[in-house]
Amino acid sequence: MSKLFPTQEIGSLKKPSWLLSLVKKPGISIEEKAKTRNDAALLNIRTLEDLGLDIIYDGEVRRVEMYEEPVRYTEGFDFAGRVRSWDNKYYNKARVIGPVNYKKNFHEDEFKFVKQNAKKQIKVPVTGAYTLADWSYNEYYKSKEDLIIALAKKVLRPLIKDLVKLGAKIVQIDEPAGTSHPSEMDVFRESINESVKGVNAKIVVHACFSGNDYKVLAPQMSEIKAQQYTLEFANRDTWNLGTSNKARKGFHVLKLFKEYGYKGEIGIGVTDVHIDDIESPQLVRDRILYAAKALGDPTKIYVNPDCGLRTRARTVAFKKIKSLVQGAELARQKLK
Amino acid sequence: MISSYTLGIYPRSEELIEATRKHTSNLSNLFLKETRDYISLQKKAKLGYVCDPLLKWDDIFRPFGNLKAVKFAALNRIYEMNTFYRKLSFEDAVTGGGKIVKSNLMISLLPKNRAVCLAEPYTFADRHQSKHKRKEEFAIDLAKMLRKEALELVKAGFKLIQLIGPSIAYNINKVDLDLVKEGLKILTRDVKAKTILHFYFGDVSKKIEKLLDLPVSGLGFDTTTTPISAIKKHSFSGKSLAIGIVDSYTTKVENKQKCISEINQLVSKTRPNEAFVTTNFDLEYLPKEFAIKKILVLGEIARGAKDV
Repeated sequence: MSKLFPTQEIGSLKKPSWLLSLVKKPGISIEEKAKTRNDAALLNIRTLEDLGLDIIYDGEVRRVEMYEEPVRYTEGFDFAGRVRSWDNKYYNKARVIGPVNYKKNFHEDEFKFVKQNAKKQIKVPVTGAYTLADWSYNEYYKSKEDLIIALAKKVLRPLIKDLVKLGAKIVQIDEPAGTSHPSEMDVFRESINESVKGVNAKIVVHACFSGNDYKVLAPQMSEIKAQQYTLEFANRDTWNLGTSNKARKGFHVLKLFKEYGYKGEIGIGVTDVHIDDIESPQLVRDRILYAAKALGDPTKIYVNPDCGLRTRARTVAFKKIKSLVQGAELARQKLK
Repeated sequence: MISSYTLGIYPRSEELIEATRKHTSNLSNLFLKETRDYISLQKKAKLGYVCDPLLKWDDIFRPFGNLKAVKFAALNRIYEMNTFYRKLSFEDAVTGGGKIVKSNLMISLLPKNRAVCLAEPYTFADRHQSKHKRKEEFAIDLAKMLRKEALELVKAGFKLIQLIGPSIAYNINKVDLDLVKEGLKILTRDVKAKTILHFYFGDVSKKIEKLLDLPVSGLGFDTTTTPISAIKKHSFSGKSLAIGIVDSYTTKVENKQKCISEINQLVSKTRPNEAFVTTNFDLEYLPKEFAIKKILVLGEIARGAKDV
C-alpha cells in the first residue's frame, strides 16, 4: 500500500444484539436469517469503512466463533463439550477422531458478500492449523505434529486456495495459540508454510501475546512464508505519551525482530482489546512513531488493534478504531 | 489395590455453565447438587481420598483474592494451556490467611477420607505479584500464610494435602530449589497430614533426586511429561509416590490393564512408603462427560494395582 501506516482491523467484532435475538427467534425462516446476517455484515462493513480503516472485513459477524466455525465444517472432528477459557467463559472443544479433511469453502458466502459490498481493500481471516490442533483433543493422529501438518495440507491450504480463487488478495491466518508452546515453534512455522504452499496472495499471520513477548517467534519470522505479522503490543505498553523506551515498553521486541533480520511488515497493535478505556490519538501516534523507528522502516508498519475487538461493546470498539485512525493520521503528519 | 485421588478443579456441567452465565435463580442449588454428585462419584469409584470438586472456583488461586491488600490484575495464561487465571497483585504485605480455602469448600459433604489442594509457595509467588517484595521474600511470606491454611484444613479433618507445584516443573531448569525447600519447610511445619507435592506442565526427570530431598511426605508426577521410565530410576524409600497416569488433557480413556502393569512395575522398582494413582492435573480441562469416565477409570486402575 502506498499510504504510510495503513490501518486495518484484526477480525472479530461483538455481534449486534438485534442480530442474535432475530436469528434465535422461533420460527424464523432460513431466508430471513440470511437477510439478517447480510444486514449485520453490511452494517459492519460500512461502519469500519466510515471510521476510516484502509483494510476491512465484516467483523466475522456470521461466524459462531473462530474455533468452532471451521471445526463444524471439517471432517474428522467431533465436539466433546465446553471447556473453560476463563471464569465463566467457555469454548466448545472438539476431539479429532478420524482423518481431517476439507469439505467445502465454509467462508464462501461470507467472502463473496464482503467482496461485493466493500469499497476498501479486504483481508479475510482464517483460523490456522496450529491453533485448531492445539485447541482440540487428538485421538486419531500419532502426534500433535502429524495433526497440525494434516490440517495445514488438507484443510487450510485448500481453503485459502479457494478464497484466492474467489478473489482474496490478503489472507490473515489467525494463530492465537501460535506462540504458546515455545518448544513447538518449528512445527508452527511448518504449519504456516504448508498452509500457504502454492498460494498466490499476501499472507498475514496474527499471533496473540503468550507471555514470552514474541521472543520465540522472532527467530522464525523470516522463515515463515508470510509478508506481515499482526501482533499485540498495546496491552503491555504504558499509557504515557512520548516515544522514549520507557514510555513504549510494550514495543521493545520490535528491535529483536530487526536483529533477527526480519524485513517484512508488522501490523502493530496500538489498542488494548481487554479494556474499555480509549487510547487517545496522540498515544496511538506515539506508539506508531516509536514502532517505525524501532523497526527502522516506516513503510513496513501497519496499524491495528491488538486483536479482534469482540470482547468489547460495539460503541467502545468503534471509539477505539476511530482513535486508531486519527492517531495514524497524526503519525503521518509528523513524518511529512 | 493402592490409594487414589483426583487433583484440582472439576468441570461444570453444561447446565451449570449456562446457569453461571445467566445467574439463574437455581444457581446455588445447582452448585450444591453437582458437588454432591461428584463426591458420590468419587465414592462410587472407591477413590482412596475424596475431594471437593471446587466448582465455584474460577481458578485455583481465586479465593486468595479475598486476602487483605490483594487486587485482581490481568488475566494470564495458565502456562501453555488455552485457559486463563486472574493474576493477584499483593499491594501490601501478605497478611491474613487460615480460613480462605476452608471457607470455600463444602466440607460438610465430604467423607472422613478427604483431601484438599493448595498451591505450594514457589508456584504461588511465580504466578502472582507483590508490589513491594522480591519474589524470594514474597514466596516466604506466602508460605507463612499457606501454613495457616494447612493447619486449619487439618483441623477440619483433611488427611492429605496436595501441594501443587506446576511452576517448579515448568521452570525446572532455572528454579531455585533452595527457595522451594525453604517455602515447603515453613508450610509443612507441624502440619499433621500427608503432604504430596505434585509436578505437572514440565518434565522433572533430571531433578528427581533433588526433589526427593524436599520436606514433604511424597512426590506426585504427571507421567505424560515426566515419563515413568525416568521415575523408575529412583528409590522412593521413606517417601510416598503419586503416579499421575490418568490424563486430564485427553478425552481418550486410559487402557486400564496397561496402566496397572506400568504402576505395578514402577512401585516394585521404586519401593515407596505408600503409592497413589492420580489424575495428572485438574479435570476441568475436560468436559464433564469425559471427566466422569476418567474418575471411574482412575478407581478401576487403583483397585487393580498391587499395594506397596
